[in-house]
Order: sequence, then structure tokens, then C-alpha cells
Amino acid sequence: MTDPANFRLRVTFCKQGRLCMLSHLEIARALERAVRRAGLPYAISQGFSPHMKIAFGAALPVGVGGTCELFDLQLTRYVAPQKALAALQAASVADLMPSAARYIEHTAPAASVAFPKSTYLARLSALPEGGVVVPETVTVVRKKKEKTLAVGEYLLGELELALAADGDAGDASVVAQLRFKLESKPTGSLRPDVLLANCTDGAGNTLQAATITRVAQEA
Amino acid sequence: MREHLTNLWPQVAPLVAAADRPSRYIDHEFGAVRKPDADFRFCMVYPDTYELGQPNQALRILVNAVNARPHLAAERGFIPAPDMCDALRREGLPIFSMESCAPFGEFDVIGFTLAHELVATNVLEALDLAGIPLRATDRAEDDPIIVAGGPCAYNPEPFYLFIDAFSIGEGEEAVPDALELIRQLRLQGASRADILRALAAQDGWYVPSLYRLRDEAAAQQAGSWLEPAQPGVPDTVVKRIYEGFATSPGWEPCVVPYAEVVHDRLSVEVLRGCARGCRFCQAGMMYRPVRERSVRNIVESVKAGLAHTGYDEVSLTSLSSTDHSRIAQVLEQLNCAFAGTGTRISLPSQRLDSFGVDMAGLVAGQKKGGLTFAPEAGTQRLRNVINKNVTEDDLFAAIDAAFAAGWRRCKLYFMIGLPTETDEDVKGIASLAQRAYDRAKKAVPPEQRGNIRMSVSAALFVPKAQTPFQWDGQIPPEEARRRAHLLRDSVKYKAVDVHWHDPATSFVEAVMSRGGRLAAEWVETAWKRGARFDAWTEHFNEQAWRDAADEVGLDVEAVAQTSYEPGYVMPWAHISTGASARWLAKERYRAAEEITTPDCTFGACSACGACPGLESGNVLAALRVAAGSNAVGDGVSAGPPEACDGAASNARPSRRNPYISLLAIEDDCAQENAVPEPHGFGEGGGPQ
Ligand code: SF4
Repeated sequence: MTDPANFRLRVTFCKQGRLCMLSHLEIARALERAVRRAGLPYAISQGFSPHMKIAFGAALPVGVGGTCELFDLQLTRYVAPQKALAALQAASVADLMPSAARYIEHTAPAASVAFPKSTYLARLSALPEGGVVVPETVTVVRKKKEKTLAVGEYLLGELELALAADGDAGDASVVAQLRFKLESKPTGSLRPDVLLANCTDGAGNTLQAATITRVAQEA
Repeated sequence: MREHLTNLWPQVAPLVAAADRPSRYIDHEFGAVRKPDADFRFCMVYPDTYELGQPNQALRILVNAVNARPHLAAERGFIPAPDMCDALRREGLPIFSMESCAPFGEFDVIGFTLAHELVATNVLEALDLAGIPLRATDRAEDDPIIVAGGPCAYNPEPFYLFIDAFSIGEGEEAVPDALELIRQLRLQGASRADILRALAAQDGWYVPSLYRLRDEAAAQQAGSWLEPAQPGVPDTVVKRIYEGFATSPGWEPCVVPYAEVVHDRLSVEVLRGCARGCRFCQAGMMYRPVRERSVRNIVESVKAGLAHTGYDEVSLTSLSSTDHSRIAQVLEQLNCAFAGTGTRISLPSQRLDSFGVDMAGLVAGQKKGGLTFAPEAGTQRLRNVINKNVTEDDLFAAIDAAFAAGWRRCKLYFMIGLPTETDEDVKGIASLAQRAYDRAKKAVPPEQRGNIRMSVSAALFVPKAQTPFQWDGQIPPEEARRRAHLLRDSVKYKAVDVHWHDPATSFVEAVMSRGGRLAAEWVETAWKRGARFDAWTEHFNEQAWRDAADEVGLDVEAVAQTSYEPGYVMPWAHISTGASARWLAKERYRAAEEITTPDCTFGACSACGACPGLESGNVLAALRVAAGSNAVGDGVSAGPPEACDGAASNARPSRRNPYISLLAIEDDCAQENAVPEPHGFGEGGGPQ
């Protein structure tokens, strides 16, 4: 049972459709506004510049969606989770819609670090002839410096390729799905879109990803 | 009128994904409205990018006003950033609206808000990206009708080639009325020409193609450069005002953007108009008479607006919010209602003479950003010329109050190149800023004095149409640079820094502000030579404008820099704000004699002509009292405002000025302090 004096609400929401193109900062601002619209009794930090006590889960890159994204909201008093959820839903847009809310221990690790393993589903608009070839390393540019990442350090298991059912996600052009799991490290992480952009089919062609979605986050 | 709009999103999406800041283009914000069942569609375009356009008040107001009518739907439109404009051209795709992601060309009517002179080439960029002929005369029956309004419509001539009809004045009623008229005529199968003729007969609509240009002699004789070419077309187009403004709710729905925009907060318009009468100021002439909303209306609007949008900041907007007769009560009630919620309440324009100790206290509960004041001129002589009725003591008192209340940064706005300015006036700016700094230092504890920053921002005077200074030329750019350097060199304090803009853009503004019909060809040619996004320093293409002037044979120096005798008939004489040309000329003569004219909302009418001409008047929440005193709350002094003295009467005229009436008592005196409970969780939050 959670501490009755502690009202730390963990909310699960989706990021989908066009809103996949929002940045982490834009998502954060939009969620804060949804919390205020919902009229929830959110806590406010003390200090020179008071702000809502809200913490966001691990960031998604611009262009990548998610079905189980998280934020933690500190409330000043108890509101039944189902009521809080209903209020948040009434204050949210469809493509950034909360789907669950529950109280968590105040000692629970922050949503941003609690779930380092993410499973992604990429919907492909062309079937990779001869399977998917994963590179050993990926070169990324960070703060104007080139950095080489060893894919094996981040990729857990294999990429699973499957034929898509007709009309997958309402999009007839999607012919295949690629499922893979990446682990983020304290030293850094490999972005799913970057990994895919560096994968090829058997003939050396880059993959045609229609969408990329985070479908699970685990500890 | 089309069956439905094409959704371009599938084609546009890959470009958006690759663009700088995709959130500019995705729509789907909280508050965005769709009306798929409407059969007549209007696209309201702000001619710059989303970040600048989305917060625009005219856009919000007009989209709401149009959507409120049956059959009509309004969507928003913006100019894609340069990278996206280029991408659309590369892919052969047209510019698109927000809500339906539909081509501009499929709308029945497109409206542009001409917020400032430098948006002109972006209007052409939008038309070109839409595949709509740039010139009104080249448009086919099926092309959208292009309308425009906003400040630049008060001298519409530099746009006359491109715009089918201009809406002069406030559009809350004028725009939806006109759209309904056009819809009816379209349903009856009327031609484009018939529709434009019908529009020209409506109050406040100017259809440039229905006028003939006179030569100079004839224009001076007739009092206007333009002559109606057909019967039923008015000689002079007088602006429309929205009579219901004061009693209409200050809260109306708005879109809450994802992208970081320039004014990312709720705005509640507390009053419209300003009768201070600064002689350079177009807004002060454009929005007369003054209309205040009641305390209750404002307070309830802020509460409702914050609850509906989820913003944590509200700006009480107007040209001069501290002039509101009951601003202190508004601030007291809001401070009380939102104490401890982290909500910020800001006043965008601080009047020097109404920012006293009380006002500093009332906006002091907040995080203190920079404070801005606009003395505009460095000496009392020049302030008298421009009718900026503030003194050095007003400035120093405001500085004392602000720095004692905790502010540490202050920005002072000035103009250089004002009519009659001498080097002494320029040096006076430096002297005033330095003395303001000395005052700030005295008001601050010694250990914090190192944090004090005073900055001076000097803009080049741009003569604006419809003002007493419309006859005064702008100083040449070289002279502007000399005076800016004189100012910089006259400032000796390290803690006082001086900023100014390059005069090249102000020069283009002056030509646009004062140009006649030939200026439209100049704009078109400049755009063809690559000018667009002129308000963006990094995109401003001076050479394109210079070359365009040579090509069309426009003496741009003469347009910007020639001074005329007050009374000379200017190219916009057929457009009226209600303030008469005779009064403007009289004001110009008074300027020459350094005689000031008082604000009519504080006392006697100064006979500008707006109230009788528009059959209207100033509407105040309470009588305004001597400078500064509006900032004193109830129970302090300054007496009970008349609206609350018990003698309830609707629109009671003032004894001092027949054109002042007061809001009825039942509209005012709100005392409710509770934050609304939209979903039943009580107060929106509290410190823990
Ligand atoms: S007519 Fe008189 S009261 Fe009305 S705005 Fe002009 S000066 Fe003021």
C-alpha cells in the first residue's frame, strides 16, 4: 500500500499520429497544460520560479510514437485514480491520450530511469528482400562530435521481422513489421530511428519505415 | 464553393517530418476547431510563420467570429518557414491550411491580416505558393476572393494590386457579415465583379479596382487621390468598429499551441483603444474611441481562460492596460484568486505615469522579468512635440517604485528621427537613461547594485499614415546612423547599453507606410527579385528592394523622406479612422508649437472627430482619474469610482466629456475569488 500522505500518480499515455512529430519539450508542455485543464490538485515547487511537480519518462525522438509513455504527477491530496484519469482524458487531445493512472511509492525510481529497456515496432512499407542486415556500429553526431556506437551494446536479442496483417494500423501500405528491443545505458543510448536508418535489406537498400512506435518499457 | 477540401497531409507529411520544427505544421492542437459541414470556407492567414502568427489576436478573434456563423467555416493559415516554402516548391505542392491541410486555392475567401508593413512580400509568397494569380485583375471566377485588413489597410495602396477587397477597422462583425454576403451571392451565381461591387457598398469595405487614380493637382483639389469609377462606390471608406466590444466576454476559445510561440500565454483584452494622442502613433488613431471591459468581465474571463486552456500565465492586453480605470481592482482580484497557484499575471505595456508604488506592488507577487517603459524622446521639449505626456519625474518615480519592489532590469524605448529632433534631443536620451540608472541604484540595496541593467532601445521614426506626423519625412539612413552613433557615444555608463536596428528595414517600412499605388508594383518586383520574410533580419534582402525601385521607377527616397505641409492630401485620404484630416493637421501645428493635447478619456473632448463621425463614444468602467491614480485600489484613496457609487445607470454620459459613457453597474464589481472547478477537484493546485 502506498503512503497515504504521498500522492504520486503515474500516468500512462500514448503519443501517436501527427503528434509523433512533437519534441520531448513540446510533449512536456502539452501534458502540463492538460493537467491544469483537468483541474487536478497538482503540487507546486517552492522557490523563485514555482512550477508544477511533474516528471516525464524517457524521451522519445521526434518522429517516434509510443503506446505506453509515462509521467509522474505529484498531487496535494487524494483523488481516486479513475477520476483523475477521466479528468485527464477529458482535457486531452486524441493523439496524446492518457490510458491509465495509478499511485506509486514515493521511493519508486523516476519514470525516466526506471525502464531502460524499450521495445519498438517499426512498420515497413516495403518487404526487405533477403532479410534485415544490422550494422555492427552506427556513427552519430552529438554536440558536433562524431561518436561510434556498437549496436550490440544496445540491441537486446534479434530483430523480428513479420508480415503485416492487411490494413495494419489502418495503413494498407504497411507490408511488414519489425520488432526490436533497445537498452539505454547511463552513458547514452541508441535511437531506434537511427538504428533503422542504418539497417539495410539483403541488397543493401535502406529500409522504408512508415512509423516507429515504442510498444513496451521494462525495467 | 466546393463539395469538400483536399487533404494534402499524406503528401505533406514527409516534408513536415524533414522540416525545421515540424510542430509548426501539424495542427491538431487543443482548441483547434473543425466545421466539416459548412459549405463556405474562409482561410484566415497571418503572413508569417506559425510562431509569430498563432498568438495573433486578430487571427483568433476572426476565426471564432466566422465559425460562430452557420454555413461558414474558418481555418488558420501561416506562411511556411523558408525551408518549407522551398520544399513545397520542389515537390510541386501548394501552401496549405492548418485544420484541413487543404490547398489555399480551394477556399472561397482568403483573408490576410496586414499586421505591419514588412509582411507585404509574404502575402505574395503565399499567393504564389497557392497558385493564385498575384494580381487581382488576373484572377479567374473560381479563384478565392482575397481580402485583407489590419493596421496596413489604413494605407492600402501598396497592396492594391493583390487584394480584392480591404476591411477597414475592426472585423468582428464586418468579416462574417461580408462572408455571408459573398456566400449568398455565390449561391445565386453572381460573378466575381458583382460580388466586389456588392462588397464596396458595405460599410468599411474598400475595393481598390472600383476607383480611378487622380493626378496630383486633381487630388489636392478633390481631397482624395482616388475617384469612384462607378456609382454606389463611396468616396471615403470609414472604418468599422465593434460596438459590442466592451460588454462582450473577454474570454473566447483559443488554440493552445505545441510549438513555442512568441506570446505563449493566455491573453485577455482588457480594453481597446488609447486616446493619449501620441502624434506618431497609428494605433492610437486607429482604435478610437476607447472601450473598457468591466472588472467582472475581465476577472471571470481570466479564470475561464486559464481553466480551459491550461496556461499558467495570462497577459492583460491592450495598447495601454494600466490606463484601465479599474486596473487596480482587476489586479487585486486576480492576485487574490491565483495566490499560491504559480499563475503569472502580466501587463504587457506599462505606462510611465500610471506605474506607481501601488502598481509595482500589484504586479510584484510575480517573477520579475525586465520592465519596459517608453519615454520615446530624451527631452521634455521633444516629448511635448510628440505629445508624449510624461515627464522625467514620471519616469524617475516609476523607476523608484519598480526597483524598490524588486525589479533589476529595465528597458527604455526611444525613437530617433522624430520631427524637429536636434542633436541635443539625442544626447538627452543618453542623459535620461543615465539618470534613470542613478535613481535605480539609489532604490536598491548596495550589495545588489551590480545586478542593475538599464538598456536603451532606439527605433527609427517611421511616419505612419493617419497620424499627425504622416506629413513628416523620415530622416535618411545615413543620418539615422549618425544620430545612433551620437547616442551610443553619449552614453558613458557601462551598465547602460544601447541597441538600435539597422535603418534599412525602417526605410522600407516608411515607403510602405506612405506609398501610393506605384508602391504595389515595387513590392511585386521586390518579391520577384527574392524579397520575403523582410521582418527577419537574416532574410531581409535590401538589394532586392533597391533594384525593384530602379526597375519600376519609384523614387523611394522621395516617398519616405519628403515632408509636406500639414493639409496636403496624402495617398490614403480616401480611408478614414474617424479622426479628421483637419484635426490631424491641427495636431501637427500644435506639435510645431510644442503644445500638448490631453487624453480625452481623462477630461475634455479634443474634437478629433472619431466619436461623432463613427456615431460612437468612449465607454469606461469608471471615470478615469488624474494620471497614476487608476493604480490605486479601492479603500486606498482616489474615491469610489462613479460606476460603483450606487446611482446605477446604463451608459451615463460624463459631465466633462459628452463622448464618455460608463458601463452599467451590474456589469462591474465582481467579487468572486474562487478559481473555477472545471472537473470538480477544487483549487487548481497549491504549494506543498
Ligand atoms: S471625438 Fe473627442 S472624445 Fe471622441 S475620441 Fe476624439 S477627442 Fe476623444
